[in-house]
Amino acid sequence: MGEIILTMKDIDKTFPGVHALDHVSLDVKKGEVLALMGENGAGKSTLMKVLTGIYKKDSGTITYEGREIEFKNPHEAQEAGIVIVHQELNMIGHLTVAQNIFIGREPLNGGLIDDAKMNRDAKKLFEKLKIEIDPTEKMNLLTIGKQQMCEIAKAISRNAKLIIFDEPSAALTDAEIEQLFTIIRDLREQQLGIIYISHRMDEIKKITDRVTVMRDGCNVGTLITKDCTKDDIINMMIGHVIYAAPKTESHVKPGTPVVLKAEHINAGRMVRDVSFELHKGEILGFSGLMGAGRTETARAIFGADARESGDIYINGEKVKITRPEEAVSAGLSYLSEDRKQFGLALKKSIVENSTLTCLPKFCRRQFIDKKKEKEVTQKYVDMLQLKTPGVDQLVINLSGGNQQKVVIGKWLIGDADILIFDEPTRGIDVGAKEEIYELMNRLADEGKSIIMISSELAEILRMSDRIIVMCEGKITGELDIAEATQAKIMNLATMRN
Amino acid sequence: MKKFKNLKFVRAIGFNRVVLICVIFLLYLLFAVLTPVLHGGASFVKVERIFSAMNYAYFLGFLALGVTFVISTGGIDFSIGPVMFASALISGYCLTQYHAPLWLCLIISLIVGSLFGLLNGYFVAYRFLPSFVTSLASIEIAKGIGSVFTKTQSVTWPTAGSENSWYKNLVRAGNVPTGLILLIIAAVICGIVLNKTKAGRYMLCIGSNKEAVRLSGVNTKKWEMIAYVICGLLAGCAAIFYVGAYTTVQPGLGDNFNNDAIAACVMGGTSMAGGVASILGTVIGTMIMSLMQEGILAMGFTISYQYVISGIIVLIAVTADTLSRKRKV
Repeated sequence: MGEIILTMKDIDKTFPGVHALDHVSLDVKKGEVLALMGENGAGKSTLMKVLTGIYKKDSGTITYEGREIEFKNPHEAQEAGIVIVHQELNMIGHLTVAQNIFIGREPLNGGLIDDAKMNRDAKKLFEKLKIEIDPTEKMNLLTIGKQQMCEIAKAISRNAKLIIFDEPSAALTDAEIEQLFTIIRDLREQQLGIIYISHRMDEIKKITDRVTVMRDGCNVGTLITKDCTKDDIINMMIGHVIYAAPKTESHVKPGTPVVLKAEHINAGRMVRDVSFELHKGEILGFSGLMGAGRTETARAIFGADARESGDIYINGEKVKITRPEEAVSAGLSYLSEDRKQFGLALKKSIVENSTLTCLPKFCRRQFIDKKKEKEVTQKYVDMLQLKTPGVDQLVINLSGGNQQKVVIGKWLIGDADILIFDEPTRGIDVGAKEEIYELMNRLADEGKSIIMISSELAEILRMSDRIIVMCEGKITGELDIAEATQAKIMNLATMRN
Repeated sequence: MKKFKNLKFVRAIGFNRVVLICVIFLLYLLFAVLTPVLHGGASFVKVERIFSAMNYAYFLGFLALGVTFVISTGGIDFSIGPVMFASALISGYCLTQYHAPLWLCLIISLIVGSLFGLLNGYFVAYRFLPSFVTSLASIEIAKGIGSVFTKTQSVTWPTAGSENSWYKNLVRAGNVPTGLILLIIAAVICGIVLNKTKAGRYMLCIGSNKEAVRLSGVNTKKWEMIAYVICGLLAGCAAIFYVGAYTTVQPGLGDNFNNDAIAACVMGGTSMAGGVASILGTVIGTMIMSLMQEGILAMGFTISYQYVISGIIVLIAVTADTLSRKRKV
């Protein structure tokens, strides 16, 4: 391990309502692999975005190769030798491997692109990295793993000195991961600095030299990997903060009927043989890390995405759900994690959004009864304490919390019995969060059944009667709230099988 | 200024529309002054001029009303001009060559228009084609079918006074501008459909966020397609008013009206991005476009100037729309 290549000191960053980075410091040495760990929302990505110039820091200093720097954009960072290899790859599928690697700086020969030279150079590069890929192959014919290796090769060819791997193994097979590790070890030999972001404990133990753990926007400490155990890391990740009033026991009495039963649901790579039951009046928490397949499961059940196989039973009866319409008429609802993209017609008013799920109820023949529509919407606006000058207000002008209430109101007006809340409190302030928690409890007491997908452990522990944990498209465990702890959930959430 | 914006009637019809109405009067004034100067003492202030401008406004109005529905869903249909001509050619050919009864021919015109709408709508909504691709295809198909059906002959509908010419009364009965009355009735119906019915609500919401509407359990495909069918049906209506005013239709033409109709629509406050539409705005926009082409001809310029101007109007109107949305977000 050599000298320090990057030092980030006292980095501070605040977004409206969120203190995303609270005086975080971190350093990376040449020839080491530093793991960066933490729960979703701990601030890992924000920190990397500050480093590469996507976000501007509020305060703090970044020293890179002995100079204090502040990149204006990722391009500048790249020029300086800092490259991020993303989980989602930025490759152009119909170009060849070599064309992708040299994109933007193609070698020219008399004004025309010299493909032959490009292929030769790419070949040399691959030989150096001991990667076996044909440079003339079309990118979209390669596996994700191979594509990722091309991305690494591209970074090397741009004289990268510091490479950041953002959950690189998420989409790889075991064999590909081994290959990736061989390359990473090689890069370490060549005295590059490497930051490795991952949730997978076994990989961290295997490949990294040090682990820096973040929680709630703070750096909670750095450990030497070979001297610590998996539990040490988990404990640092979850901390010992006491969260507001976690549920101590399930509010669902034994023998309560099952309202929704999913059996052997399969949909793509992210939903593999998922089966579970939801009881009347229950809040069923779905926990897991980002990309565990929880949203995909919800969408598959709701008919938003195609399902390969699996049956859905509502109140004991098998129902056919292939499109959202069928799900809605079966009494299901789905509040998306991304309300702007999937939940709201932003240019339309509160009323127009609110009645979208059940417009026929407000129609006589084809005509909308606008008076009734307004009255009913007003009732829900009052009930949800939605702050707005009037129900004709355009949704785009509302705050995040109030927008979320419009989405909730829309499903309540639709009178759905089974509510799937996907990250119901994402991006909204603390006050509105509390109101949404209260509302969910009230709905459950009234006999509505709720599936709550959440990436916040505190939220899961506070709201759920029962918890299902997913990892990589599979259910890895089920916990009753009485026995659930953060450590148990984290263990299940990182359990690969 | 702020006070004016808050006046009740201004709020009711929208500040934008009030400005446009002023533009109509200003344009009229401009043409009234410039025509005698530029065109050797010819006069613009004549009843015949107004009727002539109105002739253009009728069919253009129906085209623009139709395309308002499509644009409000976030799509576009610029095959409406050729579709209108195909409708007029096919129905006219049935009338003159096969001696089908006039009422049937008018219905045929509506059916042809609707079928093109169905074609566009099906491929956009159910086959996920971009609407501009379906428009391109429909333009060719409409022009081709019109030519094939009539063996590349132009079709002349019965002239005023001859047998089977009562359809002319739909445009103008003596000095009664029946066309205007019918256009207003059509606009009122369109306004009701767009603003007061389930269909209109769904279309506008689809234009704002199709995925959100789909996830709310709405059959978005069906409603999106219906918008195109309405557009096609109104292009079929436009065909009747076109022949009512101009009698003769030639195969292989019609594209130049697309731009005028879309310009009228966007100028009136319908957003090309979808989700926001104004029927009243479309009608006012139609009036402006019609007055403009009449004025240009009256001043002694060729109609080609009109194409330049309507092209520029589309650019300005869409830029203004994009800018105003940027400011809001």
